[in-house]
Amino acid sequence: MSNIKQNASEEAEFAKPLYTPIKRRSFFMYAGATAGATALLLSGCDDDENTNVVPNDGTISLGSGDVGVLNYAYALEQLEAAFYAQVKATPAIDFADVEKNYFNQVAAHEAIHRDFFKAAITRDAPNQIIPTLTAADLNFSSIDFTKRASVLGAAKAFEDLGVAAYNGAGKYIKKADYLVIAGKIVSVEARHAAYVRDLISNGSFANEEVVDSMGLDKAMEPVEVITAASGYLKVKLDASKVGK
Amino acid sequence: MDFLNLLARLADLDSTAAAPQPAGARRAALGRLGQAGTALLPGLLLGALSQPATAGTLDTRTRLDVLLLVRQLAALGNELHSRALGLVPGYTALPLTAAEKTGIQVIREQEVQRVALVSQLITDGGATLPAAPRYDFTGSQNGARAALYPDIQTNPDTYLLVAQVLKDAAVRVYKTQVEFVRADIYLSELLLRSHTVEARHASHLRTLRRQRGATVKSWISPDDAPVGTTGTAVARVYAGESNSVQAYSAADNGALTSVPFNSTLPINVATPPLSPEAILRKVAEAFDEPANAVVATDVAALFTY
Repeated sequence: MSNIKQNASEEAEFAKPLYTPIKRRSFFMYAGATAGATALLLSGCDDDENTNVVPNDGTISLGSGDVGVLNYAYALEQLEAAFYAQVKATPAIDFADVEKNYFNQVAAHEAIHRDFFKAAITRDAPNQIIPTLTAADLNFSSIDFTKRASVLGAAKAFEDLGVAAYNGAGKYIKKADYLVIAGKIVSVEARHAAYVRDLISNGSFANEEVVDSMGLDKAMEPVEVITAASGYLKVKLDASKVGK
Repeated sequence: MDFLNLLARLADLDSTAAAPQPAGARRAALGRLGQAGTALLPGLLLGALSQPATAGTLDTRTRLDVLLLVRQLAALGNELHSRALGLVPGYTALPLTAAEKTGIQVIREQEVQRVALVSQLITDGGATLPAAPRYDFTGSQNGARAALYPDIQTNPDTYLLVAQVLKDAAVRVYKTQVEFVRADIYLSELLLRSHTVEARHASHLRTLRRQRGATVKSWISPDDAPVGTTGTAVARVYAGESNSVQAYSAADNGALTSVPFNSTLPINVATPPLSPEAILRKVAEAFDEPANAVVATDVAALFTY
């Protein structure tokens, strides 16, 4: 029994909305002396040099090149993590145990993905990272968090969209390390997608909605993905230069 | 760590040695497939070997090698699932439930589609398809040695285990193969889009096994029950999967930095804080690790003679 309780509290931590910024100093201490020196240089840069200045209409540019792809992934992972955190905070009344368990575990994975990108961009391009998306930037009003069907449907949409997003962004990634990282994450998203689909309808893990007649999963362009996600966002994201 | 650097280096070498393809030059690129095996390889080998860090663990592949590997794994999967479903003469269908059959039919159908697509690309490129291998999924090499899975044609649990191992191996190996076709956008995307289908299949097979009582999650987890004796080809499919160190570098060939998941990241905001071990187990689940082609071909070799 005590074990179960401990697990429950472990899971609960991942569900908290994490708006705390990374403590840069301790982060760079961990990263070692060389990185620390670089960090000092970079943190000496004026904030004015941040290329992601939010214009008057509130649109956030995800940026260009590899950093644009990382910001794009970071935005999607923030969206997913926030959704799962909300599900954990207010689980649907009619969830079966396996469903509640699914959301507990995947909430952790998505929070880890989000934090990974935050760390990677903070380290590699500290002046170009997009802001943390707060509750005010998100719009989950179309999801009825009290109903199993609504929540599972939204989870399916997020996971399938994530898979198509990574598949379509691969060609824009220039640095091999980043492509490997994206590959490590996208297959876990695909595993999630398959499982949540099976929870909704057993055997629908790779049906014709997502896999075409050549046996290929979907790939979507960044702009298409952001348009598809815009229903869940109050803030506007500009993906037009991602990877370019 | 070194592995990531190696991949980065190979990608650079590939794009220079193979001459960058303009987007849309798919036919031209494929046209070179046949010669690529001889033309591309020496350049890659020499280039990579000149880097001391890569000596000894080199894996280089031409586009043709990659397509042949994908075809080999898909054909193997097709045969495994076709026999399980009773579609191959001489093999009785396994006692699977109707729901299990439905999902396995989807997987089998997509294996067939993959074989067809990749075969077309190989022959369009001027290369020849290899002869169909002979399969023995008991692992006895047609009676030449003791069977590894003697009841695979009668016991759904054994069959699903082997099916899962093959899929998880494919998911890991596809990740490294993308590197070798990066100069060709069409092939890269084809591989990425196949890779996530493989992951969907793996997830479903794992779910089926869990529903039958196996200790296994739909994603690879340190909590999964081990599937083979340490050191065997099957166990090597999961070697390194519990890695919880995710590194990245700020510059090409720059020093790699580990993401401090267990210490300073905001992920750990609880009071009292999570143990670092508890976080790292979840980190291991959240990333699928790449593996060299040999991990998959070694497993395929168990069932081919």
